[in-house]
Formats: sequence, structure tokens, C-alpha cells
Amino acid sequence: MNTLAMVALVFVVGAVTFFYRYAMIGLFAGNRLPGWLQVLCKYIAPASFAALTASALFIDGGAVSIALDTPRPWAALVAAGVAWRSGNVLATIATGMATLYALKLIL
Amino acid sequence: MHRAASREFIAGCRDEAPLLLGAIPFGMLYGISSLAAGVPAWLAQLASAVVFAGAAQLVIVQMLAAGAGLMPTALTSGLLNVRHLLYSASMAGYLAHLPRRWRMVLAYLLTDEAYAVAVLHYQAREASADPDMRHWYFLGAGFTLWFAWQLSTAFGLVFGAAIPPEWELEFAVPLTFIALLTLLLRERAGQAAAMVAGAAALLLAALPFKLGLVIAIITGLAAGVWTARRLERVA
Repeated sequence: MNTLAMVALVFVVGAVTFFYRYAMIGLFAGNRLPGWLQVLCKYIAPASFAALTASALFIDGGAVSIALDTPRPWAALVAAGVAWRSGNVLATIATGMATLYALKLIL
Repeated sequence: MHRAASREFIAGCRDEAPLLLGAIPFGMLYGISSLAAGVPAWLAQLASAVVFAGAAQLVIVQMLAAGAGLMPTALTSGLLNVRHLLYSASMAGYLAHLPRRWRMVLAYLLTDEAYAVAVLHYQAREASADPDMRHWYFLGAGFTLWFAWQLSTAFGLVFGAAIPPEWELEFAVPLTFIALLTLLLRERAGQAAAMVAGAAALLLAALPFKLGLVIAIITGLAAGVWTARRLERVA
């Protein structure tokens, strides 16, 4: 993507984000959000992060590549375990990176 | 400034401070991974001011690094920010009496972290003083996070330039997504949404511009809503 397209992207996402933030405070003040939208909002984050994680770990250049002989999937697995146990984002990142470096030394 | 106003402002800054512990490393990570993804430093900093939403900014960086197109990237990061509608709805009643410019500024500052602190303040304390000065508290909390976010982005960009690519620090971005995802998986319908979205992302990998990611997220959303409905009916 060229720089001009990236600038456009930043301003489009910025405008959309501001719209969401200002919508009920300013534009539609006095109205309530419809129930289906509130239900939908609950699942946006898990669906997004799952799709992004799967794509970051197992998609390489438009094709699925599950390379279990490389460190990253295993480092991600250890990180997921730490996240599940501790619920701590920083601890998850630290353990995941440490596992990555350790495996790179071994493999 | 009214004395009550400055007292509220300072209290907002103070109560937001503990949340910076999470926000500052996140901002630095964003700065570092932006450079790794080939985003110019000035544009990464501009995005922190214009978008001002950490997770969405990381998504943009991640997708640019993977060669995604303009529309899929805008749709995915835009979709992730829909939750701000909920915050906006939840704050609307408290801010209804304010002039428009106040409401616009506070809306701009309505991040996850500022919302968390401000909504507690509004709920915990009735408008004891007359006039109600609690919007100054919100402003203090929001401004504190804004300032820390801009500064930590800048730090990340400065450090990022000095970090060799062999450190693979961009891997911290999917690790962040894993951490956030795990925190969200305590509920059955959320698990269904995540599993379907993850599987669909792989099945649709061949679609151009990472369009598969957008469709995967929407499919996951549908799975989440469907599962929640079914569980409701069984219970």
C-alpha cells in the first residue's frame, strides 16, 4: 500500500471511530441502542482477535501454512497457556517472546 | 477555572494513572511494530492522534504487514471499534447537559481506559456539587491517557528504529491478540464466535487483500449470536 493510501486509511478509520464514540453522546442523544446491536457487540472482539491470531500464525502469503517445525506456533501456545492462567497481557507477551528466543536457540 | 473543576480534573488524572501501566507498553509496542511493518514514523504518530484506539491501530499495522488491502483493513479495524457505541450510549445521559464542543472533546477521548474510569466516577458519586463538574474528571482521565498514548507511541518509534529485525518484536502483536482473546473466552457463545472466526480465517486465506479476514469475523459474529440464542432457549 502506498503512503497516500495509508493516510486515507488512517483518516477513514479515525472518522469511523469518532462517529461511534460521538454517536450516542451527540448525534442520536436521547435514543437507545437497539438490543440486537448490543448482543452483536459482545462477540466482535472474540471473533476479531481469533481471526487475526489464526491469520497471523498460520497464513503466509495468501496460503495456509501450519509450520510446526518453526518456533512461532509453539511460542504462541505457551503464551496462550500463560494468558489463560494469569489473565495478564504483559506476562503473556513476555513469556511468548522468551519462548520464541529459547526455541530459536534450540531449533 | 472553577476550583471544583480543577479538583475534578486532577482527580481524573490521578485515577487514570494506574491504567497507564497497561497502556504505555501497548503504545510502545504499536510504535515498534509500525516501523517493522513499513509504516512511516510520522504516519504512525498521526494515527495515534487521529484514530486513538490501541487495538484498532495494532490491527491496521498487522494487516498492512500482511499485505492487506485498504477496504479489508478499514473494515476490520472499524468493526473492532463498534464497541465504542456501547460506551457512547452508556455515557450519553451523563453528558446530555453539556454544550456540543464539550461533548465532541469527550467523545474523542472515549477510549476503553477512560470509559472504565469515568463511568465508575459517574456511577459512584451523585452530582453533589451544583453545578455538576464531573465532566472535568472525565476530561482529566481522558487527557491523561491521550498524553501517555502519544508519548509512548513516540518512544516506540524512537526505540523501534534501533531494534534489529532478528528480535522479531512484531511477533508481540499476535501475542497481544492471543492475550486479549483468552480473556474473552470465559463464555460459551464467545468461544463459538472465536472458533468459527479462526477456522473461517484459514479456510478463506486465499481471498485477495485479506478480505477473508472480514468475512471470517462476520461469520464468527453470526456463530456467537446463534449460540447465545440456542443456549437461551435451552436454559
